[in-house]
Amino acid sequence: MAENGESSGPPRPSRGPAAAQGSAAAPAEPKIIKVTVKTPKEKEEFAVPENSSVQQFKEAISKRFKSQTDQLVLIFAGKILKDQDTLIQHGIHDGLTVHLVIKSQNRPQGQSTQPSNAAGTNTTSASTPRSNSTPISTNSNPFGLGSLGGLAGLSSLGLSSTNFSELQSQMQQQLMASPEMMIQIMENPFVQSMLSNPDLMRQLIMANPQMQQLIQRNPEISHLLNNPDIMRQTLEIARNPAMMQEMMRNQDLALSNLESIPGGYNALRRMYTDIQEPMLNAAQEQFGGNPFASVGSSSSSGEGTQPSRTENRDPLPNPWAPPPATQSSATTSTTTSTGSGSGNSSSSATGNTVAAANYVASIFSTPGMQSLLQQITENPQLIQNMLSAPYMRSMMQSLSQNPDLAAQMMLNSPLFTANPQLQEQMRPQLPAFLQQMQNPDTLSAMSNPRAMQALMQIQQGLQTLATEAPGLIPSFTPGPPGSTGSGGPTGPTASSAAPSETTSPTSESGPNQQFIQQMVQALAGASAPQLPNPEVRFQQQLEQLNAMGFLNREANLQALIATGGDINAAIERLLGSQPS
Amino acid sequence: GSATLGEMILKVPRNFRLLEELEEGQKGVGDGTVSWGLEDDEDMTLTRWTGMIIGPPRTIYENRIYSLKIECGPKYPEAPPFVRFVTKINMNGVNSSNGVVDPRAISVLAKWQNSYSIKVVLQELRRLMMSKENMKLPQPPEGQCYSN
Repeated sequence: MAENGESSGPPRPSRGPAAAQGSAAAPAEPKIIKVTVKTPKEKEEFAVPENSSVQQFKEAISKRFKSQTDQLVLIFAGKILKDQDTLIQHGIHDGLTVHLVIKSQNRPQGQSTQPSNAAGTNTTSASTPRSNSTPISTNSNPFGLGSLGGLAGLSSLGLSSTNFSELQSQMQQQLMASPEMMIQIMENPFVQSMLSNPDLMRQLIMANPQMQQLIQRNPEISHLLNNPDIMRQTLEIARNPAMMQEMMRNQDLALSNLESIPGGYNALRRMYTDIQEPMLNAAQEQFGGNPFASVGSSSSSGEGTQPSRTENRDPLPNPWAPPPATQSSATTSTTTSTGSGSGNSSSSATGNTVAAANYVASIFSTPGMQSLLQQITENPQLIQNMLSAPYMRSMMQSLSQNPDLAAQMMLNSPLFTANPQLQEQMRPQLPAFLQQMQNPDTLSAMSNPRAMQALMQIQQGLQTLATEAPGLIPSFTPGPPGSTGSGGPTGPTASSAAPSETTSPTSESGPNQQFIQQMVQALAGASAPQLPNPEVRFQQQLEQLNAMGFLNREANLQALIATGGDINAAIERLLGSQPS
Repeated sequence: GSATLGEMILKVPRNFRLLEELEEGQKGVGDGTVSWGLEDDEDMTLTRWTGMIIGPPRTIYENRIYSLKIECGPKYPEAPPFVRFVTKINMNGVNSSNGVVDPRAISVLAKWQNSYSIKVVLQELRRLMMSKENMKLPQPPEGQCYSN
C-alpha cells in the first residue's frame, strides 16, 4: 500500500517533488525571482526581489492590472496572502504562480480592465448587460477603455484598413465595451433631440427597404410604428439608459416565466424565427451579424405580450455607431407591449436612426478623434467607402427631404455651438450642402480616389496659403454664402475650383472645424462642373492664356474646364495637344 | 491491510502523488480559478491542505473567494479526501452549519477514482456553483467563516 511518512519523501515538501536536496537553496541576499501572476483572464510574469513582502509585490503589479493595491487579492497554494507576509514565508520561489483576484468596488467583476462606471449602474442585476460586454476582446487591450481617449487607440488598430465598415464595427465594439462612452453619447443633447422626434424616427425607419418588407409580412409592426404613443415610449426608454436596463431586466424575467409555461418555449422560438430574426438581421447588417443569432432558444416577442428574453451574453448592438443605419428600425418596436424585437434591440434601433453626418461631426471634437481624422484625411479611400455605403445614402435622402430638420440637427451639434459664426454661415448653405451630397456627380467624384486626393491637396494648399499669406486668399474671408464666383485673383486652382463656400478664417477654428469646412469646399468644388458658363468663370484665366499666346479660345476653355481653372495645368494640356 | 508486492509497485505511492499535486498547485496549473496547497509547509504527512475557489462570474458567487480545507487521509488517492468550506457558502451539498461537503452529494466524491485529485474536486465544486440550482442561491455576507 502506499506509504506514509518519510520513506520516500524529501525533507522539505515545499521544495517540490522528489528533489532530494532543495537545490534552489535560497541564499540570504535578495535575488530576483520571477513570479507569474495569473488571473482568470490573463497571466503575466513579474520579477521581484525574493524577500519582498506581499505588500511590495502588490505594489509592483498594481500598475499592470490597473488597480489599487487594496483591490488585489493574491492567492498561493490555496492560501490568501496577507500584505504583511513575505513571499518566502509562503514558499513562493522562482518560477511559481500566484493567483490574483481583483476586487472592484461597485462592480463585482473578476477582471480589472472594466473601469467602474461613473454614471452609475443601478443595480447589480442591471449590470448584467454590462458584464455581457466583457467577452469582447477589446476589453483586455491597453486602449484605456472607458474614456474617449480609447478612440485614439483606434488609429493604431490598423486604420490602414480602408474598410470603413470594419472601422465602424471596431468603434462599435469599443463603444459597447465602454459604458461610460455610451453614457456620454446618450447625454449628448443632439442625440437626445434626435431621439425625441418620433416623426423623424418613423421616416428613417420606413426608408429601410428591408423594414418595408417586414412590415408587409407582419402588419403589427406598422401598427407599432404608427402609434405615436408607443414610439414615444420607445424613444423615451432608449434615451434613458437606466430605464432601458430596467426594462430589459423585466423582460428577461418575464420571458423566463413565459418559458416555463408548457408550450411557451416553442411559441417563443417561433416568434423569434419569424419576426425578430429578420428584423435583427436587417438592423444588424453592418454590425456584424445578428447578435442574438447565437441564442438558440428564446428571444423575441412577437405577437402579444412578452418581449424577448436574452440570456445570451453577447454584446448589444451599438445603436450609436456612426454613421448610423436607417435599418436600425427593426427593433424600435419592442418596448413592452407587443412589439417585435427585443427591448434590447429597441435601443439599438432608435439609436441607429439617431445618427446623422452631424453625429460624426460632433464626435470629431473629441481629442481621440483627431488622430482618427488625420487618418481619414490621409486616406480618401475611407471617405469614399463611407459615403458610398447605402445607408448613408438613404439617410442623406431623408435629410434632404426635410431640410429644416437637417438644419436643426446640424446646428445643435456641439461642434458648431462653439462657433456661432460658423453656424450662421452653415445654415443657409445646408440645403445646398445636402443637395450636393445627393448629386451623383459629387458621389462619383467622392468615389474617385484620385479626385479625392487632388481635392485634399487643394485644401492643404489652401490651408498653407491661408497661414502664409492670408491676404492672398480673399475666399477665406467671410463673404456671401453660396456664391460660385471664384474668390481669388491668383489662387491657383482652389479659388475657382472651390467657389467660395465661404469659411470663417481658418486660423481661429480648430482642425476639426477646418476639416468640415474643407469638406464643404470639396463638395462645392466637386459640383463645379455644374456651374453655369465656364467662360465667365474662367474669364481671367482665358485672358491670361490669350496673353501668353494661346489664341484658340475654344481649346483654352476646354483646358480650363478640364483642369478646373488651373492655368498651369491648362497650359500643359494645351501644349500637350499641340503638334510640335 | 496487507498489500501484495505487486500492489506496492504498481500503485503510485501516496506521497509522490501528493507531491505532484503540491507542485501543480504552486505552478498554478489550470485556468487560475482554483488554487490549493499544503496548509502547513512542514506537514510531512501531506495530509492537510487548503484550497481556494474563485466564484465564477455571472453567478451569485461572482468575485468571491472561497477558502476550503481538504484532508487527504492515509488511503488517498484510493479514497476521496474530506472537504469542507471555511468560508460560508449556501450551496447544495454543503452543510450550512459547518461547511462540510457531503461526499454523497458531490459526484466526484461519490464516485471517486484514484485518478482524481484535489484540483478536480475544487474545479467540480466551482462548476457546481454555476449550475442552475446553485447559481442564484442567496448567500451570506462576504467573508464570513464557519466557526468550527
